[in-house]
Amino acid sequence: MKLRTPVAWLTLVVLYLISPLSGDVKAQTARVTMPQIKFQERTLPNGMRVLSAVDHSSPTVAIQVWYHVGSKDDPAGRSGFAHLFEHIMFKATRNMKSEMMDRLTEDVGGFNNAFTNPDVTVYYEVVPSNYLETLLWAEGDRLAGLTVDEPNFKSERSVVQEEFRQSYLAPPYGMLEYLIEQQSFTSHPYKRPTIGSIEDLDAASLENVRAFHQTYYRPDNATLVVAGDFDPKQLNSWVDKYLATIPKPAITLPRVGVKEPERTAERRITHYAANVPLPAIAFTYLTPPERSPDAEPLRVAATVLAQGESSRLYRSLIYDQQLAQSADATPDLREDAGVFYFTVVLASGKTPAEGEKALLAEIKKMQDAPVAAAELEKARNQLVTNELRQRETSNGKALALGSAAVLLGDSSRVNTDLAKLQSVTAADVQRVMKKYFTSANRLVIIYLPEAQKVPATGANTSLSNPGGGKAK
Amino acid sequence: MKTLRLLAPFIAPLVLTAAFVSPSPIAGQTPQATPPPPAQPRSVQFPKPVEQTLTNGLRVIVVHRAGAPLVAGQLLIKNGGEADPVELAGLSNMVADLITKGTARRSATQVAEAIEALGGSLDSSARWDASRVGVNVISSKIGPALDILADVVRRPTFKEDEIERLRQQTLDELTVEMGEPSVIAQYVASRIVFGDTPYGKPLGGTTESITRIGRDDIMKYHSRYYRPDNAILVLGGDITPANAFRLAQQYFGDWQKPVDALPTRGSAETGNSAQSRVIVIDKPDAGQAAVMVARSGINRRDPDYFVGIVTNSVLSGYSGRLNQEIRIKRGLSYGAGSSLEARRDVGPFSASAQTKNVSAAEVADLLMREVGRLSSEPVADIEMTPRKAVVVGNFARNLETAAGLTSQIGSLALYGISFDEINRYIGNVQSITARDLQRFAGARLSAAGTSIVVVGNAKDFLPALRKQYPNVEVIPVAELDLNTALLRKKQPAK
Repeated sequence: MKLRTPVAWLTLVVLYLISPLSGDVKAQTARVTMPQIKFQERTLPNGMRVLSAVDHSSPTVAIQVWYHVGSKDDPAGRSGFAHLFEHIMFKATRNMKSEMMDRLTEDVGGFNNAFTNPDVTVYYEVVPSNYLETLLWAEGDRLAGLTVDEPNFKSERSVVQEEFRQSYLAPPYGMLEYLIEQQSFTSHPYKRPTIGSIEDLDAASLENVRAFHQTYYRPDNATLVVAGDFDPKQLNSWVDKYLATIPKPAITLPRVGVKEPERTAERRITHYAANVPLPAIAFTYLTPPERSPDAEPLRVAATVLAQGESSRLYRSLIYDQQLAQSADATPDLREDAGVFYFTVVLASGKTPAEGEKALLAEIKKMQDAPVAAAELEKARNQLVTNELRQRETSNGKALALGSAAVLLGDSSRVNTDLAKLQSVTAADVQRVMKKYFTSANRLVIIYLPEAQKVPATGANTSLSNPGGGKAK
Repeated sequence: MKTLRLLAPFIAPLVLTAAFVSPSPIAGQTPQATPPPPAQPRSVQFPKPVEQTLTNGLRVIVVHRAGAPLVAGQLLIKNGGEADPVELAGLSNMVADLITKGTARRSATQVAEAIEALGGSLDSSARWDASRVGVNVISSKIGPALDILADVVRRPTFKEDEIERLRQQTLDELTVEMGEPSVIAQYVASRIVFGDTPYGKPLGGTTESITRIGRDDIMKYHSRYYRPDNAILVLGGDITPANAFRLAQQYFGDWQKPVDALPTRGSAETGNSAQSRVIVIDKPDAGQAAVMVARSGINRRDPDYFVGIVTNSVLSGYSGRLNQEIRIKRGLSYGAGSSLEARRDVGPFSASAQTKNVSAAEVADLLMREVGRLSSEPVADIEMTPRKAVVVGNFARNLETAAGLTSQIGSLALYGISFDEINRYIGNVQSITARDLQRFAGARLSAAGTSIVVVGNAKDFLPALRKQYPNVEVIPVAELDLNTALLRKKQPAK
């Protein structure tokens, strides 16, 4: 099982690697030079940041606007709202009819999309490069204001509810993913899954849309990233014309200030659900946020544990012991706090207890002894290659730049974080494993088919209000 | 995500004005109410593949593209799931999985360690018409990666314990897959469209067929099809032809061609979808219903291939008719789309969407209606032009990565199509007219041969569906049998 969340996907994006790749394992002598992303940065008088990187290799250009607002900023009782709002941004604006963004992109051979995670909402377009000015106009227009009406709003809300069903209700382990998001945090608004709940989405109104746009969609909360085939002078003049003219509101930008308390004792949840072909378990651990120096060792640890068939979890749980159908480790390191989670779908005939024991044993091994040099080198090579693939396209480069600027707060980290990753030692990995992967910091989720529920003891996690945090 | 384009095989439109073409004069003050028009377009340069055939018959194709220091390599065997014997569905897939699980030189674990130490991955799988083994690595590591690739293709040992391990894993995978309504719908649709002919089987097999496959079957498949004169090696990305040909010779030059002739290819003999069925797979615990309409489509060498692509693009893609009607206008789904899969023999056409159980009948109706409308009325230019742009844009973007480039070139080579098609692609798409499209839809995508599959909680949609289709067959998921076109397990004799 691959748990695919917008967040997990972004995690890859956030791995910044730099050249050159150091000490290769024996047979390998070649050193890899990771191409630097040459970029320019400016901040407009209205507070909007603009990052740009020229690459003429293909006659296309990627345009992204990063808004520093995510599901952690969902209004009270409106879990899922930031994501719903993302959908609404494709509806009518002052000068565009609904879906006009598709006319300006798809209809000329490009595409657009957007994603929302707990910390950011990102809109992107890839178009033939002669359409750059058109798209800058369009991004400016939807930042300046929305004019969506009630029927369009309601119809799009239904689409998001279908997205909920398609992502979480239809696939066998969708609700396990949901539980991991929902149960890992107790105080911080991260406890509300980005997709929200059907009920909270039903409660959302057009008035909420207006207020949300006014509060968060403002130039000083936005970062424009342009990568690909363009002329920098022209870009600057178009940015001045279409984006610098948008006024910065006087009201202050609200920020989440809640601190997630440290966990003090292991917590266990048993959840029974429909459509569970094989039982599964998950462990989640709270970690520092992605800006922390411990982020790189945690990513190396996840790679050693779970990337590929030579990884420790695959070797042990799937190959040697044949206990598991799948075993994953995900460092979901966010802006305010991170969660590092494991998911194991058991092989048929195996019990959650067996899976738990085996997973704990692998975690303990990482704590008891340093990772071998060759294993560490392998993980670095895997991370470098992932990053290179990520940056093969202009849109991928723009994603890397945007995450450095917005999530790490320093665009230059797009080129410097690889050095940090290269300097991660086996001792660093062992240290973070010992520090964060303690029993007191563990949440255990046992995910079982409804049919295994024993009536008298069937205490289930309540999902009646899966937005969490607010009784309705 | 706003759309699921990244997940679904989407491609196409509607009566929409491209606003920059005919700017609507909306009064606006800031700073300008209509979008600025595009500048002059820049021309697209497509990389040119070059090729050599080794003396053992292996075709080697190289396509150089400077850019990221990455190379994708793919070895294609020109047979896949269609070559599985009737009762051994999933055999080709097991073979492809097993070749990486131990060779004369490396154990399964050593294979994984070797490729992953390079930072790369080795992916092998069987598809329809081909089995593929692929690597994607930093360009400086392509030599060692090809060493591993050649080893697994040429010298797998197929040890009993590896076969048993994989069998158990595959059975569990099938169990998980069958929890997903959309996967069940796809398998059922294949059986309806292709019956008991080769493309009708589930590619990954069934519990029964996977249980049946023996080591002899596996060895026989491998020796019969994994041979240099039945294979194509494609290398794409940051690699020069000279270097690529040298490496191909080094790792594959002494791969012996067997003395016996290549097995002749039987036709997948499709086209038995004249009888359309309406089938409900009742899965009461489904959190959403999967709705699919399907029929036979075209083969890859069909003269109407490009007409087919453009036709499909009118239906599919974010602004395609299906998504317009089902998602954008009615909010009934996260995404609706269609695919026209051109294979060596006639492949499937399907249109699908997932929706809440109660709206499944409505969605089935909308899918059928939009497919039918293609032949009942011509597509206006104002709709056709942007849908063609979508096709061309997708094609060009696909060539921007080493993996995309390699797979595109590999596909042309597999079906024996000239690489000139790359440069003719845009012209071919642009030359399609509304008349071509309507003729094609009438002859090839008519509703008469189209079947409907709905997988979901039947009690929520069956009455509505039955009103429209009194002939609907209902099969409880527990009684579903994908081993034959009957689709239903035989009742035990009383």
